[in-house]
Amino acid sequence: MRKAIMLLALAGIGVMLIYAVGEMPPMGDSGNPDKTHVAPRYLEHGEEEAGASNVVTAVILNYRGYDTMGEVAVIFCALCAVVAVLGREKTGLSRTHMDVSRVKASVVVRTTVRFLVPVIIFFAIYIILHGEETPGGGFQGGAIIGASIILFTLAFGLPESTRKIPLKSRVPLESFAVIAFLAAGFTGILFGANFLTYIMPGLSEHAAETIRQVMMMVIEIGIGFAGGIIFTSIMFAMIREDKYELQPDSS
Amino acid sequence: MSFSSHYSILLVAVPLAFAALCPIVGMWKRELCFPFSVAGAAAACFFIFSLWGKVISKGVVSYTPGGWKPPLGIQIRIDYVGLFMASIIGAVGLAVLVYSWRYVSRELDAEKIPYYYTLYMLLFASMLGFVVTGDIFNMFVFMEIFSISSYALVAITGQRRAVRAAFKYLLMGATSSVMVLLGIAFLYSTVGSLNMEDIAGRLAMGGYTSVASIALVLFLIGFAVKAALFPVHIWLPDAHSIAPSPISAVLSALVIKMGVLGILRIFFTVYTPGFAGIEGTWTALLQAIAWCAAISIVLASIMAIIQRDFKVMIAYSSIAHIGYILLGICMLTDKGLTGGLYNILAHALGKGCFFLVAGIIIYKHDLRRITSLRGLGRSMPVTAGAFAVASLSIVGLPPSAGFIAKWYILWGCLQKQHYVFMVMVLLGSLLSAIYCFRVVYYMFFVGSHSAEIDEGPATMIVPAASFAAATLFFGIFATLVLPSLSSAAQALLAG
Repeated sequence: MRKAIMLLALAGIGVMLIYAVGEMPPMGDSGNPDKTHVAPRYLEHGEEEAGASNVVTAVILNYRGYDTMGEVAVIFCALCAVVAVLGREKTGLSRTHMDVSRVKASVVVRTTVRFLVPVIIFFAIYIILHGEETPGGGFQGGAIIGASIILFTLAFGLPESTRKIPLKSRVPLESFAVIAFLAAGFTGILFGANFLTYIMPGLSEHAAETIRQVMMMVIEIGIGFAGGIIFTSIMFAMIREDKYELQPDSS
Repeated sequence: MSFSSHYSILLVAVPLAFAALCPIVGMWKRELCFPFSVAGAAAACFFIFSLWGKVISKGVVSYTPGGWKPPLGIQIRIDYVGLFMASIIGAVGLAVLVYSWRYVSRELDAEKIPYYYTLYMLLFASMLGFVVTGDIFNMFVFMEIFSISSYALVAITGQRRAVRAAFKYLLMGATSSVMVLLGIAFLYSTVGSLNMEDIAGRLAMGGYTSVASIALVLFLIGFAVKAALFPVHIWLPDAHSIAPSPISAVLSALVIKMGVLGILRIFFTVYTPGFAGIEGTWTALLQAIAWCAAISIVLASIMAIIQRDFKVMIAYSSIAHIGYILLGICMLTDKGLTGGLYNILAHALGKGCFFLVAGIIIYKHDLRRITSLRGLGRSMPVTAGAFAVASLSIVGLPPSAGFIAKWYILWGCLQKQHYVFMVMVLLGSLLSAIYCFRVVYYMFFVGSHSAEIDEGPATMIVPAASFAAATLFFGIFATLVLPSLSSAAQALLAG
């Protein structure tokens, strides 16, 4: 009975969605409402108005920067949720499956990881800083940083990783993205413009342009590093769940 | 530009900043987290209440972060409804935050406490962001923040039951968020804009009405889950009863009202009443909400009566009250809408008080069964008294805020001559009298507890008692709020 009702509801919603997709404006048609209202303005004036030749970055950081601030807060909120429910990692008391495993990561794996991680992080920094001109930016770079640290943890184990990036330095970095965004926002208010305005009134064109570049850079770097550290912290918190008693070393 | 013109953004940005800094403060000194977040919430309250003068004189206060004109950038648009909701969030949120200090310092592990306050401030800031925005995608972003933080706050004790309840809440909540997001996507494909007023203008130009009406259905499903309307209310009794009591109070008093506000915004600001092409769907859906709301009232009241657990009973009563609010709104008359909106206030205060009282009793005696509350009126006179006063409002007896709300809702039903709904509202009130006064009866008229006075801590008693006092205040001095609510209702009906 319950299953039948559920299937019926799902089928109803499915039929409705398929019908809606059929009725939608034809895909890729240049006369569609979504391509004739605000999008042309973004494409034509995005670079000069918003100060980023990558229009996607111009929209995320400038036209709809307030939304992106919210998105950054969502990521921060996800981390707080994980930490509030699972707690932080507890090193020393327990060890993970990886740490007690008889089969350690081999020398080949460890050496490769040791060589790869700096290169990956370097690439991530490039992605973050070049986001204004090419596809990429803080979110993507942050994911790459997070992935590189996760790779390192898989090869070297949690105690080694948490020794390299201790909790004390992670906590401020995790909030850094939200704080950077808000700081940029409040700077706008201080200069007498609206919240999250990048071009300050009353300054020479050159100075205003420099301030805008610096602010965008700070926000991108904030999102990138905070994102990477948040991924890392979530992973650390989850590893702990795989709890193994500390056994006397028999080897 | 004066500093006061930025209040409309600061009321979101300042609590958000406090939330982001809270873990850092907690790393330095854990005890400072509480005063720190109280400062953030108090600052937000200051900004909210300072805006009333402007909204009364101008009707709508608009602000554009980044300075981009509305369809290009995001617009913050504070109208009567938005500021009314923001004021409730500010006041209730601050009081419950003060209340939670003693509660969480005993119930939670020390290392979780900074994250409790962080999540609480995120919840607080994002609800404020949700009610003041004039952009549907921005609304979705804030909806995600308050949803995720409330899932986490339900599960924060880490007990198995709590995690299970939170997971059920998460599954339903995530599905509803997807519905809202799909609705936004469909709507964007037909109008190419995300600003509410701009969408309303472009929808009026016609074209693709079938896609727009399906988007409306998706929005309704999504927000109905958030509001816990029958038949998608099933997550609420578990989540609201198992969460820590201050969180139950916030979830019941504020978070489910966000679903109601979402429905209001979509049905009255985005798809304005009496629109060509979508009118049929619009009316049919409102009829459906009205019937679901009426069924909610009766069914949830009956469910509340058969409960033995105090907090589960209060949780079921919340579903009934969401029914009253939505029923009043669906009458589409100024009286009905005013009653629905007034019940948001009355229920926030009354139900907030109920959960805070339940929290004090759990904190002091760890009692959850209704029959075990006997004699508490003698040993905890203020706590039990607050419950008795608040139950007047929940039942809807004069001279309480709940009476005014139900009076206007009935008036709205009468204007549209929906006699069936009137009967259901009255029946619901009768049933709520049974479940509320049963508890009052056990507290005051069945005695076994010692007569010695043994009250909870002052920081817990004062918020609960002030909520109870506020239900009486807003019942007697209803004329303080009613004029702005009827202008809100008229503005909504005018589209």
